Amino acid sequence: MNIGDRVVAWSKDEEIKKEGASGGLVTSLLTAALKGELVDEVIALQKKSEFEGVPIRTSDVDEVIKCSGSLHAAPINLTKFAVRFFEEHPDGTLALPAKPCDARGIIEQAKRKKIDLEKTYLIGLNCGGTMGPITTMKMLEKMYEIDPNEVIEEEIERGKLIFKTEKEEKAISIDELEEAGYGRRENCRYCEINIPVMADLACGNWGAGENETFVEIFTEKGLKLMNNAIELGLIETAPATEKGIKIREKTNGVMEKVAKKWHEKIFVPIEDRLERLHYYMDVMEDCIDCEACKYVCPVCACDESKCIDFYDPMDSHKISIYHLIRLLHLSDSCIGCGQCTDVCPAEIPLTTLHRRMADRIQTKYNYVPGMDMKIPPSFEVE
Amino acid sequence: MHLRGDRKMEEEWTPKITLFCCNWCSYAGSDDAGVGRKQQPPTTRTIRVMCSGRTDPGFVLAALLEGSDAVLFTGCHIGDCHYISGNYKAKKRFEMLKEILDELGLEDERLQLQWISASEGSEFAEYIRKVTEEIKAIGPSPLRQEWMK
Repeated sequence: MNIGDRVVAWSKDEEIKKEGASGGLVTSLLTAALKGELVDEVIALQKKSEFEGVPIRTSDVDEVIKCSGSLHAAPINLTKFAVRFFEEHPDGTLALPAKPCDARGIIEQAKRKKIDLEKTYLIGLNCGGTMGPITTMKMLEKMYEIDPNEVIEEEIERGKLIFKTEKEEKAISIDELEEAGYGRRENCRYCEINIPVMADLACGNWGAGENETFVEIFTEKGLKLMNNAIELGLIETAPATEKGIKIREKTNGVMEKVAKKWHEKIFVPIEDRLERLHYYMDVMEDCIDCEACKYVCPVCACDESKCIDFYDPMDSHKISIYHLIRLLHLSDSCIGCGQCTDVCPAEIPLTTLHRRMADRIQTKYNYVPGMDMKIPPSFEVE
Repeated sequence: MHLRGDRKMEEEWTPKITLFCCNWCSYAGSDDAGVGRKQQPPTTRTIRVMCSGRTDPGFVLAALLEGSDAVLFTGCHIGDCHYISGNYKAKKRFEMLKEILDELGLEDERLQLQWISASEGSEFAEYIRKVTEEIKAIGPSPLRQEWMK
């Protein structure tokens, strides 16, 4: 195997293969990395139910195996967990599965010296979008007419969202769901990066057969992960078929097109200046000053938060300096992961606000955050 | 008894302008304007900073929220910075702030950057006169008007 190779792979362990999605490759890679002493710890998402996942940091192989399976309805970003790992173990090594937004967050943190990218193994996961857990439960009751507690498996295939219970299997197209107001989170709808090209590996079921995972190897570290797992006899690989590669590219192309359409639909420019000011004030006046958006933000990297330096909570009744500074700080690094909207108890559409600012600055400086380590953040001056 | 000047103040709105001056050039420049008796309107509130690069974007946003109608960055000409590269940093911050404030709906004139050296007293006075006229023309800051309601 070489860098740039595309292969299909699957787990040799029957239990992992059954529990994990698409042949259980990612779980096997993580266990192999621990067994082969490639890494000290891994971060994984422990499944509590179909709608709840709890991120854990562990060096126990059995714990990792329990984490297998995909969770589309648990939108969690693992970046801050990786930051905490490097705060505690500056010389440690870490492996984690990463959606494009996890990987981009980690690269932005690495640029700000919070994460050592040389010591982080990123197992990229193709991502067509995630869903909010509550929205999903409501959607199951209304659109699918399934009791959310009975769901045992969920899957996205060919633009359709499939839910399986013990008795039945139902599929509805994502377009239809999104028109009805359900489906993916808003920021996922306009996200154009579906294949994590910035990670070490990109794994996904696009272009792979039943119980297989399509893997593209991007870096030396990715190659190490694969070879380590093969040497330990945990996974098996085969070269990807031409047809598979084409299907994967086509799926990616379709997803990008849909994302562009959503982007146009959501980000309608507000021409009038005063109207624009009122738009920002009206949505931000609901802020209750909990600072949750700051804690979850994967690209927020101040040692001592600058946004609360001049901040008086009395100000939060309208647009506050806390939000203004955050809008400025994230304008070069915002990756549109949607965490701030998810956690906001006042339901302020923060991601949309941040993206409105960030789109301007990122277009101006031609900077796409979290794609590689070569270009420094736009705020930096040579 | 009213003095003439007082009555005039009541009639005409004057803008409040926050002015950040670099200790090594524009602050001396404003001093030079004073020593040279160059006339300039009393609209500015000058804040001396050690370098234009010290002007944190937070200062600017705080000034605007607290009721400034405009904020001016002034510093040494590019290449003349006392600390080698402070004014490049100021320039970058200014450019990014400008985009943010524009998106927020503030006019272009409300944030300005001007390089003024220590010997340019008359240019300094001229610049303050020009900015005051510009701000008078566009009126009070919408951020302050809406925010103070």
